[in-house]
Amino acid sequence: MQKGKPLNKQPLLLLLILFFAAGCQCEKKKEGLIRGWWMWTPGGHSDDGNDSKLVSGYHPDQPIPFSHKLHAGDRKIDCEYCHSAARRSTVAGIPSLNTCVGCHKIVNTDAEPIKKLNEHFKNNEPFPWTLVHKLPEYVRFSHKVHVLAKDAQGQSRLKCQTCHGDVEKMTTVSQEKSLLMGWCVDCHSTIKEPATPFKKATTWAPITCNTCHY
Amino acid sequence: MGTPTTDELEKLEKQSLVEAPHEDFERPAESFVPGPYYAAAEEVLAELEEGVPAHVAGVKASSKGLDFSVDRRDFMRLFTVATAATAAACVRRPVEKAVPYVHQPIDQLPGVPTFYSSTCGSCAASCGIVVKTREGRPIKLEGNPEHPVNQGALCGLGQAQLQALYHPERLKAPMQRHGQRLDPIQWDDVYNILGEAVKKTQKIGIFTGGTTGHRHEFFREALERLGAPKTALYTWEPNSLWSSTARAHEIAFGKAVIPRVDIKHADLLVGIGSDCLEVGFSPVAAAKSLSAFRAYYNGKTGRFVQFETNLSMTGSNADKRWVIAPGSEMQVALLLVRALYENASSNKSGLARKIAESLLRKHQAELDRAYGTLNIPKAEFEALAAEMLQGGAALLVGGSSMFSQDATKLQLVGILGNLLIGSYEKFLFIDRGWMKPPVISGDLERFLADAPQLDIIFVIDSDPVFTVPPSWGLRAALEKIPTVVSIQAFPADTDRLAHFALPAHHALESWGDEEPVEGFWSIRQPVIRPTTDSRQAEDMLLWILATSGKNLPYADYHAYLYKKWEVVQQFTGNLSVVYDMFFKAVLRRGFIGKLMVQSLSAQLKNFAAELQELRVMPTGLQLLSPLDHRFHDGRGAHLPVLQETGDAVTTVTWDTWAAINPNTMTKLGLKRNQLVVLSTAAGKLTVPVYPLPGLHPDVIVCPRGNGRDDERSTISYNAGLNPLVLFPKAQDPLSKEPVTAGEAVQLTATAEWFRLAALQKHHDIANRKDIVKKIDLPSLKHAKKKNLDQVPDLFPKLEESEYRWGMAIDLDKCTGCGACVAACSIENNVPQVGREQVILGREMTWIRIDRYFYGDVNSPEVSFQPVNCQHCNHAPCEAVCPVFATTHDPEGLNAMTYNRCVGTRYCANACPYKVRRFNWWTHKWGDMGKRAQDRNPRAMNPDVTVRTRGVMEKCSLCVGRLRDAKHVAKETGRKIPDGGVQTACQQTCPSNAIVFGDLHDTESRVSRARQDPRAYLMLGGDPENGHYGLKTLPNVSYLSEVVRYGSHQPEHGQPHNQ
Repeated sequence: MQKGKPLNKQPLLLLLILFFAAGCQCEKKKEGLIRGWWMWTPGGHSDDGNDSKLVSGYHPDQPIPFSHKLHAGDRKIDCEYCHSAARRSTVAGIPSLNTCVGCHKIVNTDAEPIKKLNEHFKNNEPFPWTLVHKLPEYVRFSHKVHVLAKDAQGQSRLKCQTCHGDVEKMTTVSQEKSLLMGWCVDCHSTIKEPATPFKKATTWAPITCNTCHY
Repeated sequence: MGTPTTDELEKLEKQSLVEAPHEDFERPAESFVPGPYYAAAEEVLAELEEGVPAHVAGVKASSKGLDFSVDRRDFMRLFTVATAATAAACVRRPVEKAVPYVHQPIDQLPGVPTFYSSTCGSCAASCGIVVKTREGRPIKLEGNPEHPVNQGALCGLGQAQLQALYHPERLKAPMQRHGQRLDPIQWDDVYNILGEAVKKTQKIGIFTGGTTGHRHEFFREALERLGAPKTALYTWEPNSLWSSTARAHEIAFGKAVIPRVDIKHADLLVGIGSDCLEVGFSPVAAAKSLSAFRAYYNGKTGRFVQFETNLSMTGSNADKRWVIAPGSEMQVALLLVRALYENASSNKSGLARKIAESLLRKHQAELDRAYGTLNIPKAEFEALAAEMLQGGAALLVGGSSMFSQDATKLQLVGILGNLLIGSYEKFLFIDRGWMKPPVISGDLERFLADAPQLDIIFVIDSDPVFTVPPSWGLRAALEKIPTVVSIQAFPADTDRLAHFALPAHHALESWGDEEPVEGFWSIRQPVIRPTTDSRQAEDMLLWILATSGKNLPYADYHAYLYKKWEVVQQFTGNLSVVYDMFFKAVLRRGFIGKLMVQSLSAQLKNFAAELQELRVMPTGLQLLSPLDHRFHDGRGAHLPVLQETGDAVTTVTWDTWAAINPNTMTKLGLKRNQLVVLSTAAGKLTVPVYPLPGLHPDVIVCPRGNGRDDERSTISYNAGLNPLVLFPKAQDPLSKEPVTAGEAVQLTATAEWFRLAALQKHHDIANRKDIVKKIDLPSLKHAKKKNLDQVPDLFPKLEESEYRWGMAIDLDKCTGCGACVAACSIENNVPQVGREQVILGREMTWIRIDRYFYGDVNSPEVSFQPVNCQHCNHAPCEAVCPVFATTHDPEGLNAMTYNRCVGTRYCANACPYKVRRFNWWTHKWGDMGKRAQDRNPRAMNPDVTVRTRGVMEKCSLCVGRLRDAKHVAKETGRKIPDGGVQTACQQTCPSNAIVFGDLHDTESRVSRARQDPRAYLMLGGDPENGHYGLKTLPNVSYLSEVVRYGSHQPEHGQPHNQ
């Protein structure tokens, strides 16, 4: 790079201020292009968090038109039948092709997508699915503990739908919740944790920073 | 002028300080109860500091990012880019693909680690390892807790093997030489060409490193099949302690064995130049047993006395250390034998007494004189001998600083000494499971003699051109051989003259086995598919044999091992199971057999004839080149994590130095970092000098390992120098090993400087008190239990919580080896920053080992102190963070939230322990080879965030592991049991110095350690007398060092703030 006069920093500064101002503006409206950028900056989550337009509603096209509505809704297949890692691992796990083929070597083999599926299976070629529910790299989230946890009333097990929305009604999976920190904390700060032999009952789940950020 | 004492220095320093603000805010000066004042060597030697600015002293200020001047056109360019980037950033988010398995393997679950047991391949010690893999990638190596050799611990070199596996410098494809150039070649062509070549001749040899498993046997079998004699296998290890000890036992007992040392139950250990904690035979095993031996319990504790010329890491852990002249170790050993002979009751050890008697009579006059020349009075030897004969004592002699002409003779005297004490079969075992020597003594000499007759030589996993002194002519000998096939995992000096340079598997990709102790086997299995186009060396030989039509009946080396292990099944008596099940069970466990089964039943022979001649003690400056405790002969020098750990006693990183006694430096007019020319009969070397207290004034220590001058190597290239060029061809007459200690050397000062990247002064808190504490045995006997948590203050009470995590670090056990630093860096994705950044004080290690000298410069006491984040309950860093990026967890952790941090660095300023690290750069995820500090994403721990530029970081007490353990506890409805979660540093510590656990649980090991009479908090004042120091109330406590000889003299450490 050519070395010259020291930089006049004023225009850059002005640009930066404008940029932040625009970001804040959009934060209020919860829409607009800059909101997307804003989301990834520290502290950029909205307080109520539930229906930030650009954050939720993401529904990318997938390599084959897999319908959760058909499988989980109409056919009533349990979520954990395919996402079997959810109760054992940090990730829910996208089912391996042999899980699909287990049924689809018999079921509906004439349909175009299933033909494609079986072909991929035969060629030992996995599908590159597009991730819908994605957390930033600095967040550690474990499916296991959430699947095993109780819901807000402290009654039954936490449902997948609590965070993923009514997937069983979606033809194409779309992100329904914002997955922003405020949304996480909302639940964590109200949930009833039952007493154990070593711990009193609490009305919150852990909300210290290093619960998720480390 | 002479070197000032600590007290004088304090005065000097006081005068130079206009004001010392930090002295006053703690407490009024007069009420301060003196704790010892620990001075870093550099402080004692402040006047040896050179005053040359950094840029003259070999550091070029990094041009990157320091120049902010931009002209108008550049501004416009930047502006455009910034606008475009803004637009691009408005895209919702990066699209990420998730690719599932097609067939999910049954033992793999995404997000859940799978563990494999294997055997470390870094040295012949053969520690058992457990490899943690995630989605098929190894991400961490840990010691196998059930393995009796290392008992769960691992040294730094073992930890760093993860970096070696994914190392960008690994040879990627087979190469063939065409003139000066090495060109890629197909594997099939390699096999065809070599297959044809081995058909034509029977003069074939294999040169390889040390191993105790079936590997050598396989090589011999292959050689025999090729028509070559079995003796055409040449083995060589630069750690010639193996060779000399095996040779000495061959002379004394008729069989080349190594005694298995286990001093757990001994009372006294005497070392003469021993380096058992650094390299030795099995450094992790030695540290484990030394730690148990020295543990203070009910007034009983082991004591360690060391005689040595240099200041080794082992020596700095001794309770009493005698500095002896270079080359006088033989005299010391004989004087000790004399004292033992005179004190011992005569009815024991008949033949040994006879040998001792004849020797002492022969050398009587010399030995009488030696008391004077050594400057150790006879009474000292007498007292030591009496102590040795009183209870269980062992004598360990020899180490890499004593690979002289006397190496084997010294071992013989050691055997004699141990026989007189009666320590064989009590602490040194040759009759109940001896260690197998991994090499055959004298093979190097034999190879040089045979080399002119050889047509083909395979050099496998050994780099003799680099590790043997060049004066031995290995290069010339290899150059004369028509076909040299070098099979290495990493660029080696040998493959630069080879006709074929073939990439070998790393140990984590190979099959193999080891038999470190006779009757005890440890197996090695691949834990990842090969990361480069490499092959296992044994498989290459099998292919070459097959193409030459002389195949062995094995498909691959795995098949060979599978066949050979049938014998193991028979030997270990597991005949009730099907063999295949037995083999799989062994793979699952990693080892089979017991340490104490085989009996040597050897007869002692009279070896007095070997000790008739004594070498004349040399005079003048002598050069020693010991093996580096981090990367031995250089086998780990390409691993940034080891380079940046820093040598234990000098704390120098990335370089080679010549350590000299400060008094000698003053006499010669040398300053720190000044370049000097060392010249010997063999050559010259220009090295920077480093003042190291505790060396004999006539010794120059220049460790080996660094200095591989290879343009293919971007990491160790330019790091350091190879001091082996200074050693003329000389050998130990009995073991035939090269001499790398005790060469007369001339020293010429130059006017040039080279700044050594030493770590010690970087995070300097030595001006404060209560850093390292010591306690002597009489005071310890009367010391009471401590309650460190009762500190009067105005802070609000701590929140109630289920757990309160704490750590206790035992300074008495810490040996300063640096395994914790390596383990932590790998577990927590801590980057290595390179030499220039280290000089700027920007190293990133979350746990550092501070080294303090104390007392006399010629014979100081040395303390090592691991310092990580102290997790203060009243943390100064938390109060100053403007964005709440660092907060307190109710469980006692000082949490660091990277994504909140804006990089003000106020916290680092506020931290009195100086444990916070700032990311001055994003250490790239690209190809690690491009810069020393770049990292390979495959080697990252996926459970820990990788930090970027502008973010502060520090020890998290492995909160990721805590989280995992909590999840398991929640799942099973239990509490995390004591020991149920281990931090990475604790897990790997070879001397059990670190304890971690729940402080709420009063019975947990860490709670008991916190209440121990030796417990104290760093910078925590003297609570018993009402002084509470900084009142930061750390959750990390320390256990003070025990002074085992004499009483502790706090007057050395008068505080300097009055």
